[in-house]
Amino acid sequence: MLTIADQSFHSRLLLGSGKFSTPQLMQQAIKASGSQLVTLAIKRLELDKPRNDLLTPLRAMTIQLLPNTSGAKTAKEAIFAAELARDALQTNWLKLEIHPDPRYLMPDPIETLAAAEQLVKLGFVVLPYCSADPVLCKRLEQVGCAAVMPLGAAIGSNQGIQTRAMLEIIIEQATVPVIIDAGLGAPSHAAAAMELGAAAVLVNTAIAASQDPVAMAGAFAQAVSAGRIAYKAGLAATQAYAASSPLTDFLAAL
Amino acid sequence: MHIMLNDTPLQLAAVSTLAQLLQQQQLNTEGLAIAVNDSVIAKRLWHEYQLQNHDQIQLFQIVTGG
Repeated sequence: MLTIADQSFHSRLLLGSGKFSTPQLMQQAIKASGSQLVTLAIKRLELDKPRNDLLTPLRAMTIQLLPNTSGAKTAKEAIFAAELARDALQTNWLKLEIHPDPRYLMPDPIETLAAAEQLVKLGFVVLPYCSADPVLCKRLEQVGCAAVMPLGAAIGSNQGIQTRAMLEIIIEQATVPVIIDAGLGAPSHAAAAMELGAAAVLVNTAIAASQDPVAMAGAFAQAVSAGRIAYKAGLAATQAYAASSPLTDFLAAL
Repeated sequence: MHIMLNDTPLQLAAVSTLAQLLQQQQLNTEGLAIAVNDSVIAKRLWHEYQLQNHDQIQLFQIVTGG
């Protein structure tokens, strides 16, 4: 079971709800993923455009909705977005993300730490998206974040785990769940993240932008489970040479 | 009374609270959040909040996103 703050989840796969071609496809993919935590965003209402009822079908599913602060460029903007999201969804859970850079969407560590500290004081359960920086992750934990969400690679890049060495240190030191967010482009990347000892992973683009998002959601679910079981089982050590004692014995018997 | 609703100027007559404004605009309140003059007004206060002349009202909604 994955436990974040006072909540437990069977699934260790968090799903982002963006980029699906239709709301129906998104719902089917959520179902196939088995995910119990699904992220949403908040933005200004465009009065001249019709609104889709996104929430009614999502509320009918047994999932927890996790609003994010995507679009915020500063701590101040993120806190404003957090307060709006809390009221809109009636949840104090929050995926904090602050990325002023529109090209790579790299999280701003200074603004993120400042916002996290404030938001914890305001009663939010804060899950910050952050760089794979062991010192930053420790600081986020110390100000009261319920988890840390370091990146595997740039958001939407599908490059897999480019930050492996740093993630290993973060996981070793963390006393809150480490959720690897961003950059996981294939089920094998998710499995690798879980084998490292991540508590969970968050996936969006790799599922939503695949040719068959529902099938891909199922593939990610299996990969996350397999990776977790492998981590618990303890991987055999890697070696520089091949040691095959049965073959040696066979030759000696001739 | 003149207000700004998401940057659109609006002249109000028989409307005095935020809740009445939403009703007049026929807005679905599911997933909606409101800030007046850059302060978030909680849902439970929409019935009480008295609109003032020149209030800047911003409406936000939950959308999909990673």
